[in-house]
Amino acid sequence: MAQYLIKRILTAVPVFFGITLAVFLMLQAAPGTAADLAGAGEFTSADQQAVEAALGLDQPLPIRYLRWLSGLLRFDLGRSFQSGRAVMPVIAQRIAPSLLLTGTGVLLAVAAALPLGVLSACRPHGLLDRVSTAVAFAGSGLPGFFVSLLAVYFFAVRLRLLPASGMYTAGGSGTVGDLLRHLVLPACVIALSNFGSLLKQTRSACMEVFSEPFMQSARSRGIGAWAVVVRHGFRNALPPVLTTVLGHIPHLIGGSMVVECIFGWPGMGSLMLAAIRSRDYAIAMGVTVLVALAVLGANLLLDVLYGIADPRVSYTRSGQ
Amino acid sequence: MRKKCFLTLALAALMALSLAACGGEEAKRQETTVRYGIAGAWDSLMPYNSVSASNYARLIYDKLYDRLVFVHEDGSLSPRAAESWESVDGGMAAVFHLNQNAVFHDGVPATAQCWVDTFRLMTNPECPTLGRSQFSVFAGTDENGAALSDGSVAAEALDEWTLKLTFKSITTPEEFLLARNREFYVLPMHLLEDVAPADVMAMPLWEAPVGSGPLMFEEELVGSRLTLTANTDYQLGAPGFDKLVITVMDKSSLLTSLISGDLDYYAIGASVSDENAEAARQAGLTVLEGEVPTSFFELMLNNETVPAPIRQAIDLALDKELLCEQNTGELGVVTDTSMLSGAGHSTWRRDVGAAKELVASTPMDTRELMLATTSNRAGLAALMQQNLAEAGITVTIETVDSATLFSGMTDGAYDLAIASHTPSALPLWFTESRLKPGNNIFHIGEEALQRYAVELSAIHNAADDEARGAAIKALEEHLAEEKPFLPLWFARSLHVQSPTVEGIDYGSASCSNENVWAWSKA
Repeated sequence: MAQYLIKRILTAVPVFFGITLAVFLMLQAAPGTAADLAGAGEFTSADQQAVEAALGLDQPLPIRYLRWLSGLLRFDLGRSFQSGRAVMPVIAQRIAPSLLLTGTGVLLAVAAALPLGVLSACRPHGLLDRVSTAVAFAGSGLPGFFVSLLAVYFFAVRLRLLPASGMYTAGGSGTVGDLLRHLVLPACVIALSNFGSLLKQTRSACMEVFSEPFMQSARSRGIGAWAVVVRHGFRNALPPVLTTVLGHIPHLIGGSMVVECIFGWPGMGSLMLAAIRSRDYAIAMGVTVLVALAVLGANLLLDVLYGIADPRVSYTRSGQ
Repeated sequence: MRKKCFLTLALAALMALSLAACGGEEAKRQETTVRYGIAGAWDSLMPYNSVSASNYARLIYDKLYDRLVFVHEDGSLSPRAAESWESVDGGMAAVFHLNQNAVFHDGVPATAQCWVDTFRLMTNPECPTLGRSQFSVFAGTDENGAALSDGSVAAEALDEWTLKLTFKSITTPEEFLLARNREFYVLPMHLLEDVAPADVMAMPLWEAPVGSGPLMFEEELVGSRLTLTANTDYQLGAPGFDKLVITVMDKSSLLTSLISGDLDYYAIGASVSDENAEAARQAGLTVLEGEVPTSFFELMLNNETVPAPIRQAIDLALDKELLCEQNTGELGVVTDTSMLSGAGHSTWRRDVGAAKELVASTPMDTRELMLATTSNRAGLAALMQQNLAEAGITVTIETVDSATLFSGMTDGAYDLAIASHTPSALPLWFTESRLKPGNNIFHIGEEALQRYAVELSAIHNAADDEARGAAIKALEEHLAEEKPFLPLWFARSLHVQSPTVEGIDYGSASCSNENVWAWSKA
């Protein structure tokens, strides 16, 4: 197992640098730079050149990437083009809000989808299955921005029950209660959009396992119905469900761009969106590094958890 | 016994904690906070290191640092750091009598010498000042605003509270202030002593800046939230609130947040579209109508790929009245010029037949033109496409973001682009910066640029108002003939009045300043 993990980590290193190079090139390929946006049409070409020099945009592409890479190896992600502040502290300020929002949303989705998925698989096409499938379709089908705007309209504007934006009330006492009030709407939107895929995955995995002969055999041995479902059925259906759940880890770190933006949540998603809009390559690359690490880490974690969830998975032989 | 003792101690601690919490709550309840929404993040908190120089950044600097005057929506000026001003040296210089109560947030007086030193430092070629060309109006600087020699920028402290600025050409103080007031701030030079000019922008000072504006820095969540406290020593009076919390949020969330009570006000001037104004009214908010135009719409043209007859044809083919109505409701007025004084005096008439003739008689490599627009103006672009098709001009629309639009026009990737700007009362507010070789976004030919330069110079050097008027008329006629860009319309704004904050001069936000010292929250 340890050998396998070391091998995976070593493979992840070139993948990581490949991702940074690909994203760097894609960002440069996007039309317009921060210097083009500078001065809102009022800057002279000399002013623009000064902006380019200040941001290092006057250097050739390979030099820029190598400079960024050498900074990365010294744990220095550079300075934000827009605010001029060091990228690392800026990103560090945004991680916790993203983890809180997306983590709560995904947890809510998991808490609802897993039991509902198992129950739906137990009685396919029953009332519960039909209702939960309808909610899942709505959650997956409706775009996040639309659900967000609907939620703001009904709960903040019409009913005035919950705040429309922010993480705390500005100038308020910053209590946990205040935080929770601000968290409810965006977390529910994230939960709803993740609910569908989780429910469908859990339901189909469970249905497949429930039809296996060993399930019949377990029942015929007189084991209680719920024990059969949970201990034998659900455990065997777990690997594909785990893949879906752990697939959300990068989102936890990277945040949800649309939801964070609409709800004014100060997370990584809104930071990334603002960075793309203002062509702040330093911030965009910093977020990329973090998300790439999260994706690679999640994949590694998934492999480990697979082994725990399914004893048939073995890492002893090469190629597995 | 031990159990009882523990219980008593625990209860006492709980009570003490509760009382402390109550005390804190009480103290916080007495604090008044104005909650301010903004759709875009600011730049560095050092005003001369602003990468975007956007209005969002300017509105933040406006609060932390002091400017010479306050500019109202109608172009009138009120004292701020300067109490009064006058033209001297035959119009070549302006003298500003500064308010003697002006102090930085750390209590050090903001004297005329601070202004002079700020100007000297920012024009020092070794200092990486962004947007330095703004200083190029002063004598002693080159065309890029850099000092010709050490400290040569013509800024002088006549005494502790009198500042003299000398220009390169005749400029009234009012003209200078209308055009440039928002670009110049006084810096705390006493905190920049012994710092090499090259290192000024990287100073940690700008992470918690000290200015002399109406609000003081408290804390910042970079790109998301900025907390400022009222400067009770501000020379124009203390703001009627304790804190201003500025939060970045999506444009679409600003009005809803105001309606739901999460915000008290939003930049810029709580302006709202015609459609959203109705929603605001239905939600019980008052909607105010701006008195003077706050936006100017133009069709940017690539003069290299779109020849003059086709530019004329586009002007004739576009149904400006319809486009203006679609975009602004009843708040817009079609224009032939970028000059505010020309608003409402348009002689433009749509003539598709004449446009067709011009198109037919003009050889072009390709009749298909690329029109760039941002997504919020995609509908406008589609209408333009239909209008132009009637005259035989085929247009392909590309919906892009602002960065792509401006870089595409600069690179020549697009032939046409829709843009809007905040106009100024100065006649040359738009043309002066666009018709210069250093900012040739319209790809105007060398010869034509030289002619414009001569005409602009004639305006600046005109001996009197009559000569100046004649020179402006000559430039306008030339522009009407050549049409390097197409003026479309001027539009006034609607402002949603805050139900919780009083004293807001809504319209003045379009001039990148807000009278926060006059704001009060109950």
